[in-house]
Amino acid sequence: MIYFKKVTKIYQNVTAAARDMNLHIKPGEFVSIVGQSGTGKTTLAKMIYAEERPTRGEIIIGGWNITNIKPKEIPVLRRQIGVVFQDFKLLEKKTVYENVVFALEVCGVSYQRIHSIVPQVLKLVGLENKTNSFPKQLSGGEQQRVAIARALVHRPKILVADEPTGNLDSINTKEIIDLLLKINKFGTTVVMVTHNRDVVNSLRKRVITIQDGVIISDQSAGKYIL
Amino acid sequence: MFIGVFRTTKLALQNFWRNLWLSIITIFILFLTLFSISIIAGLNLAADQAIKAVKDKVDVDIFFNTETPESEVLAAQVYLQGLENVKTVQYTSPEQALENFKAAHLDDENIQQSLAELKDNPLPASLTIKAQNLNDYENVLKSFEESEYNQYVQDKNFTNHKAIIDKLSLITKRIYQIGITVSLIFVIFSLIMVFNTVRIAIYSHREELSIMRLVGATDWFIRAPFVLEAVLYALISSISTMLLLYPLVLGATPYINHLFEGYDFDLLYYFHIYVWQIFALQLFTSLILSIVSSMIAIGRYLKS
Repeated sequence: MIYFKKVTKIYQNVTAAARDMNLHIKPGEFVSIVGQSGTGKTTLAKMIYAEERPTRGEIIIGGWNITNIKPKEIPVLRRQIGVVFQDFKLLEKKTVYENVVFALEVCGVSYQRIHSIVPQVLKLVGLENKTNSFPKQLSGGEQQRVAIARALVHRPKILVADEPTGNLDSINTKEIIDLLLKINKFGTTVVMVTHNRDVVNSLRKRVITIQDGVIISDQSAGKYIL
Repeated sequence: MFIGVFRTTKLALQNFWRNLWLSIITIFILFLTLFSISIIAGLNLAADQAIKAVKDKVDVDIFFNTETPESEVLAAQVYLQGLENVKTVQYTSPEQALENFKAAHLDDENIQQSLAELKDNPLPASLTIKAQNLNDYENVLKSFEESEYNQYVQDKNFTNHKAIIDKLSLITKRIYQIGITVSLIFVIFSLIMVFNTVRIAIYSHREELSIMRLVGATDWFIRAPFVLEAVLYALISSISTMLLLYPLVLGATPYINHLFEGYDFDLLYYFHIYVWQIFALQLFTSLILSIVSSMIAIGRYLKS
């Protein structure tokens, strides 16, 4: 599903955020990427959805070599990869429903299809009763669930979660992790960037540890080792 | 496709409305550009017409002695027509000249009475020459004076309008130069203004735009609302310019037409004839200005 072959990413000819990374994530896997701040976790995630390009090496997503992806091809890739962030990135002036609809609207999906998909996704994330609420009226966990719903409307094969629980308390963190596990159970590959030790240790899933842009550990049922 | 057009139009109208004051100022600058171009074009048209009218009035009349046989006058006409710088040569017989004179002084009883008392026609035959260009008259007259027909000439009547025409040409040239400079300044203002308006619109929509890119909206979809907004600026500014130009032309017509009294020139008539062409030209100019600026602005954002 996701291949990194000797991937190096250097910023401004000086800082190396990734060095000769080799990585293979199989379809349906749940992978945690861990490491200290500034170690290259987010860069790795960004390279998966082509927000960043590698300086050297090759990246293949679902059989598609995206190393030198053309700008016009990026939207096609992004519709196959859902992304959620620590700060949710929701539109404050739009309701829960409108925030999720927005992702489909801007991709030219018909209203008929939108009105069929969105309620299903909102039900999946447990927000079917909050469709008319605005982000400010929701808890952090609920806001993150809206962001996850928005990421899921294209039925992506991969979900990249960059510090999805970074702004949440322990109860909301557990809810979000449970939701990600549920999504993973349906067959979506989940790549979660985190530095939450408790979350990683409780998951007992594959853990890739990065230090200074280098993968120093890759364990199939791993723990947070730093 | 239809859904895409509908949604981008909706977003464009939202952008326009949410930054209403900025939109109004942008339209105003575009309006000033179009207005200055229109005024300069109008002044040029009037000046060109003035020059054309004066040029049309320039000719040379050669009057022959009354004893000159008609065959010699006609031969002189053929000779003149053979000169390459000559456009037309019109023959007026003594009878025709008398008729014209009578017609011109129909209300003057004294003249009519004097003419009735005359037994012979005192008016000579004449040739009216129009040259291809103003500068050609000198050569034409010189050639004629060297010909055998010069001996029959009683008088020549050549009013040299060259000085007036040169002065008018100079004024036209100056108007054109000043107009082009003023218009260019406004064109640059418009480009900067639209560019900045779109940049501000991009800034105020940066969250929506980043989410659009994240969820897989195409560059076309991101670009289109800003381009449509620019089209809206162009449309409104062109219509506003026409709406102001019409009463202005209406008000100015009596004064302009007064300047051209005796000449075939009517400003309002020209405006009516060319109204759609003027509008199309304004729309084209404003569309180019606004679309180019917005494309550059959004292009820079998409590259970042």
